[in-house]
Amino acid sequence: MGQTPKKGEEELAPLILDHQELLARVENDREPLRDLLTIFKEDFPRQLLALREAVRARDGGRVATAAHTLRGMLSNLAATQAAATAARLEQMGRKEEVSRFQEALTAFENDAKKLLPQLDACMAEACK
Amino acid sequence: MKILIADDEAMSRRLLQKTLERAGYDVIAVENGRQAVNQICTTDGPSLALLDWVMPELDGPGACREIRKRKEQSYVYMVLLTSKEAKEDVIAGLESGADDYLTKPFDAEELKARLRTGLRILGLEDRLVEAREEMRFKASHDALTTLWNRGVILELLERELSRSHRENATTVILLCDIDHFKAVNDSFGHLVGDEVLRETAKRLLASVRSYDFVGRYGGEEFLVVLNNCDPAFAFARAQEIRNTIAQRPVQTSTGPVPLTMSLGLLLSHEWGIRSVVELLNEADTALYAAKRAGRNCVKVASPCAASDIPGSRVDEPARQR
Repeated sequence: MGQTPKKGEEELAPLILDHQELLARVENDREPLRDLLTIFKEDFPRQLLALREAVRARDGGRVATAAHTLRGMLSNLAATQAAATAARLEQMGRKEEVSRFQEALTAFENDAKKLLPQLDACMAEACK
Repeated sequence: MKILIADDEAMSRRLLQKTLERAGYDVIAVENGRQAVNQICTTDGPSLALLDWVMPELDGPGACREIRKRKEQSYVYMVLLTSKEAKEDVIAGLESGADDYLTKPFDAEELKARLRTGLRILGLEDRLVEAREEMRFKASHDALTTLWNRGVILELLERELSRSHRENATTVILLCDIDHFKAVNDSFGHLVGDEVLRETAKRLLASVRSYDFVGRYGGEEFLVVLNNCDPAFAFARAQEIRNTIAQRPVQTSTGPVPLTMSLGLLLSHEWGIRSVVELLNEADTALYAAKRAGRNCVKVASPCAASDIPGSRVDEPARQR
């Protein structure tokens, strides 16, 4: 039987998608929510590709730029966990911590994997 | 109220646009700092701007610096949007000329509240500019007639005389005086006298070209400066002014008051290089001659005996006054 997290720990763990925060951001309006999700769907693969290429090239400046853009996009969607991972990658890029790039990218991709289905569900809800 | 948002990230741009449109703003959205500068620095460009910090072409602080450098006429209230939270970044942003900063992702209510602060500042600036313009007007115009005041009309005359000398052209001085104005004041009172002066000013302004100057020289004396015109035109214009005043009485609160005007005319090219004071003295002598000749007429100040406008030249006794 798994251990139930204590109350304090639960609050500290970043949410994959903070629905409440996202709705507040669009002032509970479905139309801009749909717009944001559509833009994200279009832009995210391109930005993720740019990040992967920057990591492969071990280029700190490009890693920071791509991670900064992704962080902004994810923050707008209140995708707290992935935004935090992108922020860590941005910092690593700025500090040229090349050896940690791949590990951080993998963590980011895992976060994204968890996030995307939630965004799809959110879009389905917004289109009702 | 127009507002500019500059953000290279499409989602932020869309979110900002929707939030601001809902709050009643007229939004212009651009993708980089260069486009932001170009939009703001146009005539009637927005005076409220939200600029993302990190942007291609020109970043937020760079755009702030350029806008402050280029836009001197009216104030632009600029808010930097940033995910940078370090104190030194914030200081750098504010030192670039930004008025405020907001951390991304923004909270809609906080954003609107910060913009209301901006609107208050812009409103205050509008009132200051209005007050400055009012003071500028009062310092240069006659309070009763709203014509140029004595100081300014003399400066304008001096400038025109220098220009006409450089360009070998003619500036015409018309010194105009309402006939028997004291009798108007004595018979109808000073308030009616003021009405007469205001109406006279209106008629004088309506009688000259847009680039000529009309000022109040003294009590019931007006100075008209006609730029770059030949003697025949000047004399015709002077007669027209005289007619405009005499042809119909001034309608005042106590009834119609008939008026006439005497004018002294001087053509600058006939006098070589003379000071404004000297030329005005000569024009005044011509005006005095017009008074002596029975009023309601124009006399020309002339440095030589020959007269090209028969009957209008000032004779010696009149010039001696």
